[in-house]
Formats: sequence, structure tokens, C-alpha cells
Amino acid sequence: MIPDDLKETLQRQIAATDHPREQVMDVVFILQDRFGYLSDPLLEEVAALVGMTPLEVEEIATFYEFIYRKPVGRHVIHVCDGVVCWMLEYQSVLDYLRSKLGIDYGQTTDDGRFTLLPTCCLGYCDRAPAMMIDRKIYGRLTPERIDEILGKLR
Amino acid sequence: MPKLMIDDRKIEVAPGVKVIAAAEQAGIVIPRFCYHPALGSVGACRLCAVKFLDGPVRGLQMSCMVEARDGMVISSTDDEAVDFRRFVIELLMRNHPHDCPVCDEGGYCLLQDETIAGGHAMRRSMGKKRTHRDQYIGELVQHEMNRCIQCYRCQRFYQDYCGYRDFGVMGSASRVYFGRYADGALENPFSGNLIDICPTGVLTDKPARFKGRRWDFQRAPSICIHCSLGCSITVNARYRELVRVEARRNDDINGHFICDRGRYGFAFANHPDRPRQARINGRDTSYEEAIQTTTQRLSEIARTLGPDSIACLSSSRAGVETQMSLKFLTRSQGWRQPGCFVDRSEQNSVTAAVGRLTPERVVSLGEIEKADLILVIGVDPILEAPMLALAMRQAQRAGAGIIILNPQPVSVPFAYDHRPISPDDLCSTLQKWTRSISSQTRTESHFVEKHEEYRGPETPSVPCPLPPVDSLLQNSRRPMIVCGTNIVGTAIIHAAADLARDIHSDCRFPGLFYVLPGPNAFGAAFASAGGKSFSDILPDIETGNIKALILVEADPIFQFPDQERVKNAVKQLDLLVVLDYVPSRSVGFAGQSLAEMVSPAPLHVVIPTLTHFETQASFINQEGRLQQTTPVHVNGLPMSQLTGGKHPPRKFRSDVPGAGARAAWQVLSELEAVLSSTPADSITFADIWYRIGLAWNISVENRTEIPGNLRILSTTVESEPMTEHYRDD
Repeated sequence: MIPDDLKETLQRQIAATDHPREQVMDVVFILQDRFGYLSDPLLEEVAALVGMTPLEVEEIATFYEFIYRKPVGRHVIHVCDGVVCWMLEYQSVLDYLRSKLGIDYGQTTDDGRFTLLPTCCLGYCDRAPAMMIDRKIYGRLTPERIDEILGKLR
Repeated sequence: MPKLMIDDRKIEVAPGVKVIAAAEQAGIVIPRFCYHPALGSVGACRLCAVKFLDGPVRGLQMSCMVEARDGMVISSTDDEAVDFRRFVIELLMRNHPHDCPVCDEGGYCLLQDETIAGGHAMRRSMGKKRTHRDQYIGELVQHEMNRCIQCYRCQRFYQDYCGYRDFGVMGSASRVYFGRYADGALENPFSGNLIDICPTGVLTDKPARFKGRRWDFQRAPSICIHCSLGCSITVNARYRELVRVEARRNDDINGHFICDRGRYGFAFANHPDRPRQARINGRDTSYEEAIQTTTQRLSEIARTLGPDSIACLSSSRAGVETQMSLKFLTRSQGWRQPGCFVDRSEQNSVTAAVGRLTPERVVSLGEIEKADLILVIGVDPILEAPMLALAMRQAQRAGAGIIILNPQPVSVPFAYDHRPISPDDLCSTLQKWTRSISSQTRTESHFVEKHEEYRGPETPSVPCPLPPVDSLLQNSRRPMIVCGTNIVGTAIIHAAADLARDIHSDCRFPGLFYVLPGPNAFGAAFASAGGKSFSDILPDIETGNIKALILVEADPIFQFPDQERVKNAVKQLDLLVVLDYVPSRSVGFAGQSLAEMVSPAPLHVVIPTLTHFETQASFINQEGRLQQTTPVHVNGLPMSQLTGGKHPPRKFRSDVPGAGARAAWQVLSELEAVLSSTPADSITFADIWYRIGLAWNISVENRTEIPGNLRILSTTVESEPMTEHYRDD
């Protein structure tokens, strides 16, 4: 699954640390950026690389929201469902995204552009409501601003 | 010693004790899920909230997270705390299915108890409950994830306490899922404890599934007989069938847990081929006739060929009463002393180990957890004494170093230093260590005059792969020497004891812990003192010097390595008597029809005996602790085997079908009585213990209920000299 040259790079990176397992998150994100999501075969290869059991990697992979265990679209929209966003139009933002994209949480648009997921508090409470796409956070969301942000993403 | 007040009760507890444990000492049980005495506190479930009214901590706090301190005034019944706990239990019940009628946790369910205790009765949440897909996690534990209340006990036990890594917790928030990465059997040999610690029905006993409720079972405290540790168990039976075994708390030995072999290894008691009827030459007969025929033939052989032509063999799985009854029988008739081992070197090893345990050095399994250094010599813990591995892991988690000296590879769930050295090197290393310690001791006694010259212990002349003993023991106050009796010979057993004796000092208190080959191998060492092993009497059978053999819960026809040889030998016997409760190979051999046997026809007798689930039986574990089982049910054909799983018969009968067995000690006492022409029907359990008490010169006040803390050591009881009669081959 992992190409040999990438595998060697990862092995070098892991070998440079005192405890191989501390590299698990880095390895997972490198692979996710390359393959889009962490498939079962990839997860098992990660486990072998860092000396953990598949269960231990799964424990981490399913705990964190930004590790995807299923195929996702090119851009994943994480809508903040923190308490402050709830108070400031979280529901409207979510409803607008749902109707605009025609998908619900956990679904991907037919053209493979967007996947919609919730996330716990992004810490943008002063600029609520907020969402995160491709590791970039957007605050003070309005329908117009959402159109503008999504319009730039192909 | 902190003094505090809980619910108006003054108590004083040891420093470091959590409030929840302190309250328990005062008899106040604060509701809890995630807290477990063996797993410690994590403060996850929020159920043990109490109100701190006065003292160093104030307000509502989790009693499992706060250490008891001087001057605390605590209320578990304060309105705020009671309200808080009611909301917590309501929250925990939010997703719990109401499938109690078909849930096997019924009768064991902590969630039911805490829901009632918390005062939650009416459901307010109208939303959907979260559901999960269950996993196949093997044939021993049933998974039913919807019932989970996220206490994390299972994951903490599995990964932290046991050190296995194939079961854990996945997901977050309301998606938390306890299970494996994929379907498959659990790898942890202690996985059955998940059943005991899970406070709801997520993890239940699979073989016992739908077999009954806790209150349907006949329950009794018992002892596990699957290795020499003698862990405490609770046995459940229903309709004359063993259904399940649970761990029984015993802080001296197994703590809260047992291994899976002990939990699930009871099928022998329900075995459909279990001998249930006395047999003579393959023909079913009455018990009385079997005794009559046997005693007649025994007296005949003794008269014509002399008492020396009768040999008896018991085993290390037979109880103390059985082993000693056999000894009394042979003594009263002047026969050869009984043996208890098939193999000579095993007898020698066990005898050596039992002989070297002294009251100063002997330690219990519970004390292994408190060790700061453990030397493991020639033992594979998971294989030979599983709970020993768990105890060593607890020591290792607390910082103990563990060195495993074993030529074989071992698999244990903790970090250790494996030194695969040959038995010869192992012995010489131990002896070298002992010598260097002894010379140090001598040096220290003249320290004032000689400390200038002292340059440490002698450098070993042979290259030694192990560090010198003084650097090893440098910071150790409580080292343990754990030594096997299986792959190591008597020399290493003695060397281990010598080392334990010589490393003792004013600030170092070593323990010696032998692992023996059977639940009552310790008793067998006493009972077989002066007797020979089966491998040593086999030539006498072959030459015709032995014409009668009595096997008491022993199976040499299976255990002796050369099957052909042993079968040809026992065919030459005039009389073979087999007493057993399992359909062993010896029982099968003696129970078959004699059509193909040579003439003159020998006499083969099988007399069925009782398991330790059906009669009171005593076992001495590897540290000399005498423990007793309580019968859980009467012996008889299990109802499921009588009816083929259908409804019990509607006709009443006054007897129990298939109940022809008697305790082996009873059979032996009766044989002795008939042979000595004394009345037989008056021999009781207390009589046997009166005789054992006389033989060992111990006073057993209550002879029907032996206290569980009685240690029987070769130095504290009187017995025949236990010398190793033969050199190791």
C-alpha cells in the first residue's frame, strides 16, 4: 500500500525518535494527506511501522476527528458545534450548508468536492459561528461568506 | 493516620487511602462504577460524589479521587450529593437498553443496584438510544456493547492491569466503543475477569449464557486445582451440572482475579464419559461388590506373594485426605509406601522444593506484587502458574525489575530481562552469586578492621552472562526468588533456596517462591515420603515383583512417556484398581472388557470418585497453605445428560441417577477397614483429619473446617524424613 520510497522516509523519521509510537500521529497525517483517508490496510501498516497493535492505532484514529477512516471528498467541511457557536447561529450555518450541498453530516457530494462533518470547539468563540476546511478556520459565517469560501474550492 | 468523619461515623485509616475506600472500611458503600480496588481511581463515572462539609477539602467531590485526610467531615447523604448522583445515574441510563429479562448480568448487575440506590426510576429522555454492532471476541466472553455505560473498567483491566493490547476503547463522546480492532478471540489469558469487573451486561460469561440466574445456582466457595497456586473461586452449579466459575477475592493469593484456565476449566466435572458406576472387568457392578472383590484379591495376593507385591500410586491432583488415606491404608497393611508422582525427577524436585521452604523465607502470591526485584528461575509463568505472571506485572508496574533465567523462550505481559542460559550455567551462576554474597557477609562482619583491603567480591573465573549479584541487589529491599520445579533439577532448586537464604540481611528481606507441578503437589511430597514414583516401580511390575496396583486419581497409563511399555507392564498385573472421577486413560484401560486379555484372567476394578466440587477436599498450594473446598452440589448425572436437554422427568424418584461415586478417601478408608476387619461406616471427614493431625503432629481444632491461613511446612509439621532417594538422571 505505502510506496517503498515513502516507507523508507517514514522509517527514517521513526528511527530518529526515542519511542517509535510517539510518531504515530505524524505518520497517520502524512499518509492521510497522500491517500485521502486512513484505510484498514494503511492503518495496519502504520501499526507495524510504529510498533503498536492495530487496535492501539484504531483507538487514536477513531478518537480524533481529523483522522478519516472512510473515504472523504477533496475538502472536508468541519462545522464547529461548540457551545458558543450553538448560541450564535450554528443551526442556520448547518442548515445552509446542508441545503446548498445537498448532503448531511457524514456524507460526500456526488462530485466528490465536499464532505460535511461536525467538530468539537475550534476555539473561535469570539468569531462564532465557525467552520474549518483543509486546516483553515473561517469565522463570522454568513450565507454570503460561505458561498464565497466554497466558491474558491474546486 | 488520618482521622475523619463520614456520615457522622468517626474513622481512622491508613495514609493514602481514598475517601471511597475509607468509607467502605466504616461499612458505608458509596455508589461507584469506574472505581475498583484493584484498578484504582480515574474519576470517570462521577457516581461516587459526596459532599465535603468541613476540613481541608470543601464541596461536592468525587470520593474516589480525594485522599482521606485529617479533619475531613464528609456526608454521602447530603441533598446536593444525592441529587448529583441521581442525575448521573439518569445520564448513564440514557442509552442503556431495557433488555434486563434476557440479560445474563441479572443477579450480578451493579447497574441495577446503583440505579435503585441512585433513586432514578422514571425515564425522562425521549430521544433515540445509541446502538452498536457487537463483536465476536471468542468463545469465552460474550460482547453486547449496547449495554455499556463507559466506566472504562474493562479497558483499564485489559491494557493497564494485564498488559495485553488487542482490546481497548475506540471512538469518543457518545460513540465510545469497547472492543477489538476486528472480530477475533481475545488474546489475554485473563480475559474472563472482564465478566466479573464489567458492572453491566456488556461482557458476560459465554459458556454459561442463558443457563440460569445467579439465584438459580447452587453456589459455594472453592479452590482452583489447575495449577499449584490454589486461587480462590466461587463455583456455580445447576441441575447437577457445573455452570460457571467466578473469581473469589483472596488478598493473600489471587486478589480479585483468576486466569481463564481456572475459570473455564471445569468441563471434566460434567464429562459425559465420567465414571459413574463401579466396574469389574468391564462389567458394571455395585460399589459393595467392587470393594468385596478387591479386598478379597488383595488379601490373596498379600498372603501368597507378600505385602511387598502391592503398590499404590496417587497424584498431585488428589486432595490431602485422599493422599493421606492411601498412606494410612498402605501403612496398616504393611504394603509398599504409596507414590504420588509418575516421574522420579518430578518427585525429587517437588520434595527438594517443599523441603527448602521455611517460615522465614516463604511468601504468598500476594506478596510477589510488593517485590522490588524478581528473579524467575526456570518457570514459564503463563504456562505453569498464570496468576503469577499477573502478580509479577503488578510488581513491575510499581517499579520492580524482573529477570527471567530460562533456557526456553517465554511470553509474559510485562517488560523483563530474559537471560536464556543453560541449566548448568544457571546452577553455577546461582551458586557463584551465593558464594560471593556469603563472602561479603563475612567481610562485613570484620568491616572495621578490614575495609581497607576489601575490593568487592571475587571476579568469576568462568565468563558469566549475568551481572554480579551485589549490583543486582544494590537497591533491593524485597527481592523475590521464583523458582520452577519442571525444567530445573534439584541442584537449581537448592541453589535458589541457598541464594534466598544468603542474600538476607538487616535491610533486605528476600522471599522464596516455588512453582510446583500440581494443585496438591505440596501434599504429595508429604504423602509420598518414603514411597517411590511410578517410573521406579515399573521395573518391579515388569519382573512380576508387583502383582497388584492401586491407582488413586492418578493416570500413569497416560502420563508415562513410553505408552507401549506401560501397557505391556500393567497387563501382567493380577489386580489393577483405578479410583478416579475423570475418564482417564487408566480408567479406560481398567474399565474395558477383558476378552482379549491373557489367561489367567487378571482382575480390573474401576471405582468412581468425587470431584472437589462434590465433596470437601483439601489442597496444599505451592507455599504450603492448606485450603479447603466446599461441596457445591451432589454428584450425579447432569440433568441435561439425563434428558438430552428436554424437560426434567415428571416421575419422581428417591435416588439421584448416576450417583454411584464416593470420595476417594472414603473408598480407601473402607478398603482399609474391610482388610483390617474393623467397622467401616463410621469413618468421617473429621476422623481422617484426626489421623492426619496425629501423623503431622499439628492441632486442627475444628476438624471439619480447616482455617485458610494454616501453613503446612516441612519444618513446622512432623513427617517422615523427606529425602531425595535417587540421583537425578
